[in-house]
This record gives sequence, C-alpha cells and structure tokens, in this order.
Amino acid sequence: MPTLTHRHLHLDQTQMAECIQRLAAAIAAAHAGSDNLALVGIHKRGVPLAYRIAHRLRTDHEIACVVGTIDITQYRDDLGSFAILPRLEGSDIPFDIDDAPVVLCDEVIFTGRSVRAAIDALMDFGRPRCVELATLIDRDGREFPIQPTYCGDRIQVPANQRVAVRFAEIEDDQEDAVYIESVPPSHA
Amino acid sequence: MTPRKDLLDIASLSNEEIEFVLANAAPFKDLFRRSVKKVPPLRGRTVLTLFYEPSTRTRSSFEVAASRLSADVTHFDVELSSVVKGESILDTVETLEAMQLDYIVVRHKQAGIPNLIARNTAASVINAGDGWHAHPTQALLDAFTAREVLQDLNGRKALIVGDIQHSRVARSTSLIFRRLGMDVAYLAPGSLMPRQIPDEIQTFGNWQDAFDWTPDIVYLLRVQSERLDEPFFPSATEYHNNFGLTDARLKVLSDRKLWLMHPGPVNRGVEITDAGMNYERSLINQQVENGIAVRMSVLYWLRPGAAPAV
Amino acid sequence: MKRLYKNAQIASADSPKLQTADVLVEGDRIIGVAASINDAADAELIDCTGCVLLPALFDIHVHAREPGQEQKENIASCAEAAINGGVTGFIMMPNTTPAIDNAGVVRTVLESARRTRIGASIYTAGAITKGRRGEELAGIAAMKNAGAVLLTDDGFPVDNPQVLRRAMEYARDHDLPLASHCEVKELSGKGSMHEGSVSYSLGLPGIPSISEEICIARDIRLAEFTGTHLNIQHVTTARGMDTIWRAKQRGIRVTCEIAPHHLMFNHEDIGDFDTHYKMNPPLRTKEDNAALLEGLIAGKFDVIATDHAPHTPFEKNQDFASAPFGITGLETALVSLYDRYIAKGIFGWDVIVKHYSAQPRTLFKLPTVPITEGGTAEFIVFNPNRSTTFRREFMKSKSLNTPFLDKELQGHIERVIYRGEELLAR
Repeated sequence: MPTLTHRHLHLDQTQMAECIQRLAAAIAAAHAGSDNLALVGIHKRGVPLAYRIAHRLRTDHEIACVVGTIDITQYRDDLGSFAILPRLEGSDIPFDIDDAPVVLCDEVIFTGRSVRAAIDALMDFGRPRCVELATLIDRDGREFPIQPTYCGDRIQVPANQRVAVRFAEIEDDQEDAVYIESVPPSHA
Repeated sequence: MTPRKDLLDIASLSNEEIEFVLANAAPFKDLFRRSVKKVPPLRGRTVLTLFYEPSTRTRSSFEVAASRLSADVTHFDVELSSVVKGESILDTVETLEAMQLDYIVVRHKQAGIPNLIARNTAASVINAGDGWHAHPTQALLDAFTAREVLQDLNGRKALIVGDIQHSRVARSTSLIFRRLGMDVAYLAPGSLMPRQIPDEIQTFGNWQDAFDWTPDIVYLLRVQSERLDEPFFPSATEYHNNFGLTDARLKVLSDRKLWLMHPGPVNRGVEITDAGMNYERSLINQQVENGIAVRMSVLYWLRPGAAPAV
Repeated sequence: MKRLYKNAQIASADSPKLQTADVLVEGDRIIGVAASINDAADAELIDCTGCVLLPALFDIHVHAREPGQEQKENIASCAEAAINGGVTGFIMMPNTTPAIDNAGVVRTVLESARRTRIGASIYTAGAITKGRRGEELAGIAAMKNAGAVLLTDDGFPVDNPQVLRRAMEYARDHDLPLASHCEVKELSGKGSMHEGSVSYSLGLPGIPSISEEICIARDIRLAEFTGTHLNIQHVTTARGMDTIWRAKQRGIRVTCEIAPHHLMFNHEDIGDFDTHYKMNPPLRTKEDNAALLEGLIAGKFDVIATDHAPHTPFEKNQDFASAPFGITGLETALVSLYDRYIAKGIFGWDVIVKHYSAQPRTLFKLPTVPITEGGTAEFIVFNPNRSTTFRREFMKSKSLNTPFLDKELQGHIERVIYRGEELLAR
C-alpha cells in the first residue's frame, strides 16, 4: 500500500446513494418500457455499482433488468507491462446480449482506456443494439474519445491524486464513500 | 504473481504459482461455452511448437490454446532423421532466436532438453514432455480435473498404476498431487518401479494391496512399448492380467465410486478394457478438455524475456 | 645459481605437523634444509613466510587426449595445466584415437611428452587389449620396452574374465601393474548418472553402485588368482572401498585411487542437468562422500588421482544424456583439496603429500621427492593466505569443464620448482 500523505472525503454514504439514485433515474428515463435492458459491471468496482443501479431501477422505477460482469484484464492495452500479473476473475454474462441495450457500469472514468477494453470484451459476447456508459465519478483526463452517457459527479482531480470509491459489499472497503487521495509519484 | 519465463517442470514451481495457474484456468474454460472462444492477451505473439517426438493430441491442445489467446501459431518441422544429438538442438535454437519468437513448446525424448533450450533463448519455453523427466502441463491439467470432482484434495489418495520408471507423467502428476495435499501411491511390476522414490510415496506390487489402501482416484499410465528397450515384462497379456484394469477390477472402482484418470492415448486391452473406457466416473475426456484451458492459463502466465528462473 | 626459500613451513608424508625451515637449492638439488640458513649471501632470496612447501605432485590418471582428440587437450597443454596445478609428473591414459595399444604409439606420445617442460616425468599407460575392444591382448611386452609403465583399458572395463586373466598373467610376467576401470557394462546400461533418488527426479537412466562393486570384487579375485599388481581406478562406492580394503588385509596386491571430485561432490550437485557434474564413474551419494573421506584419512586409499578428462564446451553444452563423461582436475585439485579439507582442519598436509606426491611415485617404482637435504629440488610453494579464482585466463588446459570455473577458492600455488628450475612463479 502506498503511503498516503493526504486524503479527503468527497462523498459520504448518503451523498453516494443520492448519486446512484440520479444515475438510475436517468437510465430509467432513457429506457422506459424496455424489456431486455442489461447492466454490465466492469470488474472490480463497476460490479457493485451495476447491482445497486439495478436494485434502484427495480424498486424506484419498476424496470426489470439483468446484470452481468466483465473482466477486462485480458483486453487491457498495458498487459505486457505489469510487474505483478493480475489474477483473472472471468466474465459472467449469463444472458444473450444480441440486440439488447447494454449499459456498462464503472465507478470512475479517467483516461477511457478501461471502457475501450470493456467494449472490446463485450463485443466478443454478441452484438448489442447499443452500448451506453454509466459512471459514478467522471474525472477529467481522457486519452480516448469516450464519454459517459450517465454520470453521477464530474470533478477535476490533479495528476498526483486519485479517486478512490469504496463499496461496503467489497471486503476490503468496509464502507460506502468516495475519497480523493494524493499518492507519491512512484505509485504505479 | 511475478512473471516467470519458462515452465520446465513442477518441482521448480511454488505452491502459490501452481494455485495461480489453476485458478486462472477456470475463466478460460468458461470461454469454451461462448460462440466467440477467443480473447486477445497474446495478440501479436508467436507460439512455436517444436516436437521432436510425434504427438498429435498434446501438440494440437497447445495449438488450440494459443489460437484462443489470439496468438499466431506455427510448427517447426524437425527432420527427425537429421536430429541425432543436442548439437543440432542449439543450432536450431539459434535459428529460432533470429525469428524473434515469443513462446516455444518443446517435446523431446531426452530429459533436460527444454532446460537447455530455455538457458539459450529469451523466448518462454514450455516443456511438453522430456523423456522420463517431466510433463508439467499434464500435471496441471490433472490437478485441475481432480479438483473439479473432489474440490479439496487434502488427505485424498491417488493410486498411479503402470510403468512408473519411464513415466514423466507419474513424476510430475504425483508431485503436483502431493503439493496439493494428496497421498500418492505407485502400483507397478518390480521391474518398472524405480529403486529410489520419495519416502512419502507408497508402493504396491498388486491390486489387492493397492485397493486395501482405499484410493479415491485410480490413475492409469500408458504402457509405452515404443520406449522400452529391454523386456520388462513377458507380454501385453501378462501385463493386462496382473496390472491392467481388468473388468473385475473395474467393478471394484464402480462399487466404490472411485474416479478414473489416464493421460492418453489409451492402449485398449493392455492397461484398460473397452468397458473401462465407458466407465461413468472416467475423467479421461475432462482431462483433454481441461488441457486446453490449463495450457491457456500457462501461456497467459509466462512472460517471454523475463529473467530465467533459478 | 642458488636460491634460498626462507622461513617456510615444510610438509611431509610422515606427519601433519609442518616443519619451519629454510630451504637452499642449488642446481637441481636441495643442498640445505635447516631452521635457519644464514651463510647463503650469493643466493636469490625468496621470502616464504606464511607459505607451505610441499613435494610436487604426481598424477597417475590423466587423459591428455593425444593422439586424435587434440581439440580437447594435447600433451603440451596438459603439461602446462599440470604445472599450473603443482603436478610435475603424470601417467597418460591410452583411450586416445588411435588407442595407445602398440609400441609405435607409445613412442610417439613419449616423444611428444619429451618436448614439454616436464617431459622427463611424463609417462604413459598402454592398453590391455587391441583398440580397447576387450578381445585380443595388445603387444604388452613391446609397449613395455617402448616405455609404457602401466596397462589399462580405462574408459572401459575388460568384460571377458578370461581375457583379463590372461592379461594379468602377462602383466605379472613383465612386471607391469594393471589398472582396472571397474564397471559391468550391462548393469550400467545407458545410465548417465548414479541410480538413486536424483536420477528418479530428473528422469535419467542410472548407473547402479553394484556395477562398480561387482566388477571390483571380480577383478580382485582374478588378481589374487594370478598374483598380479592390480590398481583399481576411481573408486566411488563405500562398499567397493571396503572390498578393496579387506583384500589388502589378506595380502592381495591391490591398490586403489580416489578422485577429488568423488570426495567433494555428490549426485545432488547435478541440480538442473548441469553436465559439469557428469562423469564416469558417476558422483554417488553424500554417504559415499563421507565414507570415502573417512577411508582416505584412515589410509584405505593408495593415491589421489584426478582422472583429468577434458572436453570442449561445445560437447558439454548438450542435454545431460548426450554430453560426454568427464571433468578436468589437474589445475584445481590441490587448491580445492586445501580449500575443502586442510583449511577446515579435516585432514593435514601429510595426506596430500602421501597420497598425491609420494605413493603415486612409489607405486611405479619412481623416486619420491621429499624436501630433504640432498634430495631433488621438486616442490611447490603454496600460499594459504591468497585465494585462486579459476578464470578462463588463469587456466592452461584447452578445456574448461570444471565446476570450479570462475569460482574463488582459498589457497594459491605461487611457485613450482622442477629439478631446481622454477617453472612457475607468481
């Protein structure tokens, strides 16, 4: 773990929940009446985000949707440069995405490379009718021409800082929160 | 998991590395159910199969695995008549080095050839079987298959039957089984049992004693007539009656619901009968299927150009 | 031209104690050995404080590879390698191409030897059988007349006991010792290392101990029957050593060699198929190492002999089964024996002097070279306080197949004196 010299709370549990509600509302408005909406969470933290949005869609908006997960490790453009090789989680999309509207979910979008990889991975599963992107946080710094369709909060973060989203259902996180942390320049 | 350049044997792997390869094989196996059975990690990389001993199944298993990882696959046609000793091998390796290959999968009848090649190339070398010494990808797929049916291998027992002395499968698979917590025993005629084996492996000279030991898995080895240069036992019939899985012995497996494994290809009538091939708890086909997933996991894990392991 | 080696520690075969003394050399003789020699103002002074002087070494088992395999070594390079290791005389083995199995080849190799700096002390063995094929006896009398001092088919055993019996009788009649490379070829089979736990793990065919043990027992029985002097080469098994010891105690004329590598290394050193540890007979177990070392200290071995067997890097750089058997030893033996045993107090200098200088010569009725007044000046100045790194540039042999390559060991040969002349000084 890198030593953090500075860390501040950007969104607390309540504020985070409100963000997710807004995301769900926006998706519901765009896909009202849809019967094959699919949310696909990008490992790691896009997964709890997708499940929470799906829950809100069902409870608040009575929209049924299926949830899948996608592991983009093998589609990354920087796979060859890892000092420590990541373990594969595997993708799990137990439904047919042909001709379905798919909303990719990720907790943060930064350079856009992860989403590029996710789209490539998704296309190996079938041919969706359309692919949209829902992110909790949009942190400027795009290196690819990819923008979220639905975004919870958009912020500017300096290069030496990062956005850390925590979901209670993830073992190491233990809470719901969004932090902005500064890291030493050597952190990969 | 720190990248490693070569996979030469099981002995040089840590338990952590073994678990990593086995864990990653599962998502690769899931891939086979999809219509697009391809993923891109090895896109732009070249995998070359260098088989000095003939083999269609292992070679094609590697080739399918490499293709599914989007690698370019090619085979080096070795003129078997011109290959006599190791000098030719290093000359061949120099040629291959000039081609800037990423992965070389080697099978050879002399032990240690993959080690020699690995020391002399920056490419990742995978041992697909070297003489009597090692067959690490076979061992990995055997462990993966055993775990599929038994989940936790700790305390479980595997009986390996056949020509232990000349078997690289026996050496590698018994080692990986032991690393994962199993007890292993060998059943072989005295002439095919090595004189000195690790203390923790039990030995039996007949099926009755072996069955009394209550194995969970019975692993049959192929009787390799093409590798024998002396008469170790009088005839195939004698072998079958004394050490083969006769129908009577198959009944014991069936009654006790034991699992059956075999690395293939099978000698019907020698180590196994037709009935044995149809046994409902035979894992032989799963071994083949898992072979591709495990080999994909190995190719994903190895890193050409990494520092050669100690 | 006098030389005064001052304040040295003198080693001898009689006792592990070193005698502090000055040694005065003139011409080819030692003209004075005393606690303090002060009346030698005209002598070149060599300060030997801290150094050990020991009689120069004699190696009865060396493969000089000439004629026919000169890419590995030739007699000239072998002689230089010997001098580099403090060895001033040796016996060459006849497994050359063609074999040294007739008077003509004996004369040729001895002529070649004469041209080296220690030519007068290089001897050759002759083969027991023609071409070392184990069938017909070679021209033994003729070879003896041409200068052969020993008979051996080294590299091969003599399979046929009847052939060996006749050879032994003939050798006895011509007063030539016969040396046996003891193994039963059928038991060794295609083995490339000791048959045991490591051959199991590496999946290599093994050479079982019984191959050597059985042949030793057979050859001793034949030697007893014929009354010949039998020398058993490169003993590697504890059991084989015991068989020889019991035979000696019964009065049978049998002697035996131990090679430094069989004391120092065992089959576990092969590691990842390292061909530097491949030789025949092979490295055995740790238990054999310990038993052989104990045997050496207890006097069960007559001589230390390196079985210096050069091979080119190209040949050794093959898979283990295909690489040739052999390890060099002339240049590394003394330093490695010092580093492993004398420096650690496991045995004293007397063991080296007795087994690697005195007895090898006595066995062949050659005069020994103790450092005594009136004796031949043939000795080594050894500095225990310097180290030796066996780099390629340091070695004189054409071949580098030694596990000590690029390793640093304790001890350094500073000077080698041969018949009064300093062949090496550094």
